[in-house]
Amino acid sequence: MYKIKLDQFEGPLDLLLFFIKRDELNIYDIPISRITSEFLEYVNLIKLMDLEVAGDFILMASTLMHIKVRMLLPREVDEKGEEIDPRADLIKALLEYKKYKEVAEDLNFMESNQRKLSYRGNFSHDEMIAPPEYDILLKNVSIFDLAKAFKKAIEGLKPQVVHEIRKINVTIDEQIQFILSKVMEKGEIHFLSIVHGMKEKIRIVITFVALLELAKMEKIGIRESPDFNDFVIYGIANG
Amino acid sequence: MDKTYSTVIEALIFSSDEPISEGEIIRAIRGIDGEDIEITSSDIHSVVEELNSKYEASVNSFKIKKIANGFLFATTEENAKYLGFLSSEKSKRRLSQAALETLAIIAYKQPMTKPELEQIRGVNSDYILNTLLEKNLITISGRAETIGRPLLYGTTTEFLKYFGLYNLSDLPKPREIEEIMKDEDFIDQKNKIMMNYVEESIEKELENSEGENDTTE
Repeated sequence: MYKIKLDQFEGPLDLLLFFIKRDELNIYDIPISRITSEFLEYVNLIKLMDLEVAGDFILMASTLMHIKVRMLLPREVDEKGEEIDPRADLIKALLEYKKYKEVAEDLNFMESNQRKLSYRGNFSHDEMIAPPEYDILLKNVSIFDLAKAFKKAIEGLKPQVVHEIRKINVTIDEQIQFILSKVMEKGEIHFLSIVHGMKEKIRIVITFVALLELAKMEKIGIRESPDFNDFVIYGIANG
Repeated sequence: MDKTYSTVIEALIFSSDEPISEGEIIRAIRGIDGEDIEITSSDIHSVVEELNSKYEASVNSFKIKKIANGFLFATTEENAKYLGFLSSEKSKRRLSQAALETLAIIAYKQPMTKPELEQIRGVNSDYILNTLLEKNLITISGRAETIGRPLLYGTTTEFLKYFGLYNLSDLPKPREIEEIMKDEDFIDQKNKIMMNYVEESIEKELENSEGENDTTE
C-alpha cells in the first residue's frame, strides 16, 4: 500500500482530487467503485491516527458508497425525462472546491511577493526590546512607597485560624464498665452525679450512649427522678 | 489639473504610515485651495504612475504601491533581505494551505456563513475561522436573514494589505469550470510557487552568510 502523509490533504475533497489527478481520471466520469475502495483504505488509515479529522472523511466515504449503490440501480430521471447521474452533486462539489484551491495557490504566490516589500512604518510593528534600565524598572517609585506597600501587605494578612483536634480516649465499653461499677457500688445513682466532673462534651455523650446500651441489654433500669432534668439509674439484679 | 499637485500628492503619501485614499488626498487639496479645485481620482492615479516611473528611472529604492484602497510607499523587492534581517515582520509565519483555501472562498463568496464555507471545503472549519479572525484577515460582517441568523464572514482591509491588493476586484479571477477541465493539471502555478519557495530559501541562506558576503556585494 502506498503511504500518504496525512496533513497533505485539507479534507476529503482534496483527497479525491488527488486520486483523480494521480490516476488521470476524467472528473466527469469517475470510476466510483475504484475510488471508493481507495478512499476507504485511506479512511481506515487515518481512523487509527486521528479520529477528529476522520469524521469528515467518513462522511465522504458514506457518500461515495451511497453513490456506488445508486449507480447499480436503474437511473432516476428528472422532470425533463433525462437520466440523473448519481455522481452529479459530487462532481459539482469537486469542481467548486478545485476552483478555490487554485485561487488559494494564486494567493500563496501573492503572499510570497508581498513579503518582499516593506512599507512605511515597517519597523513600528517590531517589539522594542529595550535594555533594562532602573528608570524603567522603578518608575516614580521611592523606597518609602515600597516600604508602605510591604507594611500594608503584611498587616493585611488574616490571622491563621488553627483548629486543634485532640483525641479523647473514651469508648462505650469503658463507660459501660464505669456505670456498672457505680451502680453496683451504690445500687441507685442519679445520671447527673455520674457525669458530674466530666470535662469533655464527648465523654458525656459517650456515657449517655453507654447508658442506653445498658438499658437495651437490660442490665440497668431507668426511672424518673424527683429532680427536674434528671433520672435515676438502678441495677437489675439478674443482669 | 495643476502640475504642482504632483509634489503635494507625493508628500501626502510619503507622510502616511497607512494607505492613504484618493478621497483623503482630494479632501486635503480642496481643504487648502478651495472646494472648486478640479481634481479627480484618475488624476491622482496618473500622478502616482508618473511618480513611480520617475522613481524607476532614477533607480530609487522605493515606489508607491496601490494597496487596500489607498497609496503607500514601499521598498523595492531587491532590498527585501536587508530589511528582513532587521525586521521581525519577516519572521512571521506564512499562512497554511487551509488558511489560504478558506480565505479564497470567503474572498469570493462574501458575505458568507460557516455552513456555506464548510459545504465547499468539505471539512469542519471552526478552528481555521478563529485563526483568521485573530489575524484580522476576516471579520464578522453581520448576520444572515435566514433561520437562526447565522454570522456572516467577510475579508478585511488587512486582507487586502496582506496580499498587496488595491481592492477586491484585484483578486485573481477564478477560472471557469470549463477552463479547469481543459487544463487538468495546473503545473504552471505549482512551478511558480515552487520557484518562490526556492527563492526564499536562497534568501535565507544569504541572510545566514551575510557577514561573508558583505565584501562581495
